[in-house]
Amino acid sequence: MTARGRRTEAGAALPRRNERLADDAPPHPAAETRPVPVEGPLATARGLLSDLQLAVPGVRGCVLAGVDGLLITHNLPGGRDAHDVSALAATTAGLGRQSGMALGQGGFRDATIRSLGGYFTVYLIGGHALLAVLGDDGLNVARLHIEAVPVVEKLADLLPR
Amino acid sequence: MTNIDVTLKNIMSIEGAIAAALVDYTSGMTLGVLGGGPDLDITVAAAGNTDVVRAKLRTIQLLGLGEGIEDMLITLDTQYHIIRPLRGANGQGLFLYLALSKSRSNLALARHHLRLAEEKLEL
Repeated sequence: MTARGRRTEAGAALPRRNERLADDAPPHPAAETRPVPVEGPLATARGLLSDLQLAVPGVRGCVLAGVDGLLITHNLPGGRDAHDVSALAATTAGLGRQSGMALGQGGFRDATIRSLGGYFTVYLIGGHALLAVLGDDGLNVARLHIEAVPVVEKLADLLPR
Repeated sequence: MTNIDVTLKNIMSIEGAIAAALVDYTSGMTLGVLGGGPDLDITVAAAGNTDVVRAKLRTIQLLGLGEGIEDMLITLDTQYHIIRPLRGANGQGLFLYLALSKSRSNLALARHHLRLAEEKLEL
């Protein structure tokens, strides 16, 4: 079942993601084609995501989302639903936030899930947005943590508070 | 036989040593670090040199040489960086990393000490 199908079946009780979608997110395979902007904050943000992908071998794609799990923009290769990755990022950050609170270790910063076939890392951007990075199994995750710091700072400056 | 901390201490006692680390090149994460400081961030060095090791191993594989790496030497203006992948059965996927001051060290002696440290290391 596709994510789209789930959304349709979920009915009117759930917020419709499409209504909250930034108008200039890159076209999703299942969505109607939208023009990709060449300038503006979102284009700059997508440029930063691509820079991170180029800087760290093994990164498959990045997703920028709100802490509410709604997609802002992404550069994932086709075939993966960026909306679902955004929701996963918010869930992961929520779990991290709860862990930090319960253990008295302070606020959430980042979380990495290593599965048998790859990595999923989520960084908090200025308290109101998330950067999720998908990496394959050979990812140099230490290097990702180093290269992600300036990208997260730049994204924090870019996004409205 | 010595553990990681003692091994790194032994390596840092080599004349001219600036920083040393034991690094997992499957992830770029460090198992232990000693030395370094504001001039040389050892975790950045570990993550960056992970890509160096991976690239060289891949090149040897592509060339079909069927050989292992004993060590790698990178010579800077004022420093030597020596990378020594662990060859033992327990050291698979790890390398020792040592940064040396060029003017204060003896390269041959440093390589010798690094080999001894690797042989004694027990994981």
